[in-house]
Amino acid sequence: MSKIIEIENLTKTFGKVVGVDDISLSVEQGEFVTLLGPSGCGKSTLLRMIGGFEEPTSGRILLDGQDVTHVPPSKRAVNMVFQDYALFPHLSVGKNVGYGLRVAGMPRREVREKALEALALVGLEDRFDAAPHMLSGGQRQRVALARAIVRRPKVLLLDEPLSALDANLREQMQVELKALHTKMGLTFILVTHDQTEALTMSDRIVVMRGGKIVQMGSPVDLYERPATSYVAGFIGSTNQFRSVVATGPTGPQVQCFGQPISAPAGVAPGQEALFGFRPEKALVQFGEEGGGPDTLRGSVADILYHGQSVRLMIDLGAGEVLVDLPMSGSDGMPQVGDAVSLRVGADKIMVLADEVAA
Amino acid sequence: MKKRLTLLAQTSFSALCAVSIASGAMAGELNILTWEGYADPSVIEPFTAATGCEVSATYVGSNDDFAPKLAAGGGVFDIVTPSIDSTYALIEAGFVQPIDVSRVPAFKDIYEQFRTADGILKDGKVYGVPYAWGAIPFMYRKDKFDTPPTSIKALWDPALEGRISLWDDKSALYVAARLNGNMNIYELSDAELAAAVDKLVEQRPLVRKYWATAGELVDLYKSDEVWISNTWGGYQSGLLAAENIEVVEFIPEEGAEGWMDSNMIVADTPNEECAYQFLNMAISAQGQEGVFKVNGYSSTNPVAAKEFMSDSEFSALHQDDPAYLDSLLLWENLGDRLPVYTNAWNSVKSQ
Amino acid sequence: MNGALRLKRALVLSPPLLWTFLFMFVPYAILLVYSFWQQKYPTFVPAFQFGNYVQIFTDPQYFRVILRTLKIAFFVSLGAALVAYPYAYFLVFRVRKPGLRLMLYMAVVAPLWVSYLLRAYTWKTILGTTGILNSFLMSTGILSEPSSVFLYNQTAMIVTLIYVFIPFMVMPIYAVLEKIPHSLKEASADLGVGRVRTFLSVTLPLSIPGIVAGFTMTFCLTFGDFIAPFLVGGPDGQMIANVIASQFGASLNWPLGAALALVMLMIVLSIITVSDKFERLGQGRFA
Repeated sequence: MSKIIEIENLTKTFGKVVGVDDISLSVEQGEFVTLLGPSGCGKSTLLRMIGGFEEPTSGRILLDGQDVTHVPPSKRAVNMVFQDYALFPHLSVGKNVGYGLRVAGMPRREVREKALEALALVGLEDRFDAAPHMLSGGQRQRVALARAIVRRPKVLLLDEPLSALDANLREQMQVELKALHTKMGLTFILVTHDQTEALTMSDRIVVMRGGKIVQMGSPVDLYERPATSYVAGFIGSTNQFRSVVATGPTGPQVQCFGQPISAPAGVAPGQEALFGFRPEKALVQFGEEGGGPDTLRGSVADILYHGQSVRLMIDLGAGEVLVDLPMSGSDGMPQVGDAVSLRVGADKIMVLADEVAA
Repeated sequence: MKKRLTLLAQTSFSALCAVSIASGAMAGELNILTWEGYADPSVIEPFTAATGCEVSATYVGSNDDFAPKLAAGGGVFDIVTPSIDSTYALIEAGFVQPIDVSRVPAFKDIYEQFRTADGILKDGKVYGVPYAWGAIPFMYRKDKFDTPPTSIKALWDPALEGRISLWDDKSALYVAARLNGNMNIYELSDAELAAAVDKLVEQRPLVRKYWATAGELVDLYKSDEVWISNTWGGYQSGLLAAENIEVVEFIPEEGAEGWMDSNMIVADTPNEECAYQFLNMAISAQGQEGVFKVNGYSSTNPVAAKEFMSDSEFSALHQDDPAYLDSLLLWENLGDRLPVYTNAWNSVKSQ
Repeated sequence: MNGALRLKRALVLSPPLLWTFLFMFVPYAILLVYSFWQQKYPTFVPAFQFGNYVQIFTDPQYFRVILRTLKIAFFVSLGAALVAYPYAYFLVFRVRKPGLRLMLYMAVVAPLWVSYLLRAYTWKTILGTTGILNSFLMSTGILSEPSSVFLYNQTAMIVTLIYVFIPFMVMPIYAVLEKIPHSLKEASADLGVGRVRTFLSVTLPLSIPGIVAGFTMTFCLTFGDFIAPFLVGGPDGQMIANVIASQFGASLNWPLGAALALVMLMIVLSIITVSDKFERLGQGRFA
């Protein structure tokens, strides 16, 4: 695989505010990369610099080996799907899609063919003559997509493309986007603040905060091995607790809200660290008995019904943790106040690095 | 229903009238529609002090303003001061009321030509008290002419292109007709009018601007735009002299129009007493001196004029020279020819 | 309940309706009635005849003046658009600081609070023979003696009217440009289209409603103007409103004046209708 985009020490400042802070990143040909983070983390600025809409303060951007740092957007072989779709309201769907090709001087008939082809990819070839304002939000989204891929860009940039859609449509579009990516073999760079979107579609997720990359990796990497408390909290939920590693009867132990459980690998006695476990990783047992090693005892403090599972808030005495209980059988609903034991194996506990001051 | 409405309308109307009459009588207020200078504070303030009649004046830019303002109704004005070409139409339209000359003792002192002029008489009744008179001579910038112009032809001289101005009024037709040799300027036939229009169209490229107000003409001379034009005799030349611009008035070979303004009482004025006071004041020495000092116009009352004019002023204003007045083509009512003249003048400007 | 609601609605709606009726409909109805009357010395008398309209359509002077007025209105609108568009464009897309933008916007709009007469009069002092323009041209040596070509002609009227009415052009164009999402220009650039083509294919078509609105307002305002001819117009400066004024004044021919005013109203209404169609076309989504 070859690197289609190489970003070297890219910085963008707006006055005194640092938008993107010395980022280096490379993207492989055909990869689906997601820039994930809360608003203001610099992800959109980074994307817009790749698109050419923002001039970097320093650093370089290479596209397919060519330095494009100062090349205007009209001369870059990348295309963008805008958050508000940016469809030209005075042009029909077909003319929107064919716009760039026509201005480039392609014969009318060929423009039409290409536009129809692109619209077919998103399933809208029959709306060629429709006006944008007559389309639904999802359809507009697809037209924007068709317009962005009609020129076969080297990289497709997507700036929060699904944020304006309602939940159902958003899930459907996630599937379609992923399918389109697979079918076309294009490189996609997506910006989002929605972790589900990132987990569902990406080959690789780049988590950003304060203009810097906090962690990057595959969705599984990030979910299973978040490097910091921030990533752990941003992608999925995590029960976090700080503890000093002590030596117990069966080996090193940590205190989870006052109750000892086995420490995970990689930490030595005497070390203080931040630990966490995912709600669905705890094994839940009801009743007074039950116990054994690595078990936390508490009672149900609150119940959130999710359909396929139930999220329980468990009062451990010195603190509260969340656990997920799959609703597989006819177990019956737990009640607030029920005694409960949680088994959290050492392999389920993550060690989270301290946050770097941003 | 209909009856009730009319009744209601009548009641409110008379209520309105009552209010206006009451307020008018209490303040003793005169509203006069007149020319600039004719209601100068130097005259009005002593008048108000002597009679208790407050005066507020509205000024016209042209004789054409009188009839429309009165036709619009509303009982706003008590006194108007139209020129002799516009008086008779106002009488016929019923806009003004007859004057009881026994209440204007000095009326008999007025030049006979004026107090017996057709324009202010109807069915043996007098409708106007002549107030001031003068000519529509021509004038030029003295420093711009080596040989003084003596004819209207000067205003058609291509050498003066862009330096000529003419009053934006039907008077322009009178000028052109005289140049064509038609001295019957108030009774032009359609053919003669058409010839006058042609003459004016021919002149138009030479014209800098048609002047509409006294102040505008003064500005045009002041800003060096215009060197020759017709004028309201005595008035603008006086204003220009005050600006140190030397202009000379002249009566061309083709003659000049003459004008005479009369005070008239608007029909059914609620302020008749004050109105008569005003008419008397206007032709008294005090009133005549006012118009002489402010506008430089000649007096209609030679008896009064003698009281404040020196002998040289008296003759300079042709007060001792009835023949001069006869030589002027005193404005006449155009009657039903007025719209024809107006349209002819408009058609010149539409070219 | 229903009745009370209806009464409430009637109470809310009746003042504006009454106002419209009294001050729009009634005057026009009066004009219409007058237009069939007849001039008869010394004033005019009620009648029902079409003589006034016949006169308007047969005497060439009215056609000439209407044509001249249309021509001047067209050039004023065109000139105003050519000046206002770049200015509004500059304000919306080039001036980054909102404070400065507001200031520059107000610089154009604020003169609306100054008397029209005063603003038009200013141009006399600029364009006159002894005016500022001549002094400038002479001091720079371009002219050796003052020129009189700047004032008292149709060009002077057009220049003055452009200045007087330009706020009515800047405001709608500014409004429409401001509403164009920035992303559209980025999208165009993204699709490989340069600035000039982006302007021609995106910004300009999308600003047509503003241009049409400004053009219509400027056109109609100029069409009804009668002060510029008086202040800065020359002997060929008479416009239709002046003719109407002279019918109501000098010739005391209100019937003819009313007929002229109605013809003028018809022209203005047809212009507004056409421009409305245009505007819809501009907003229309097909090009």
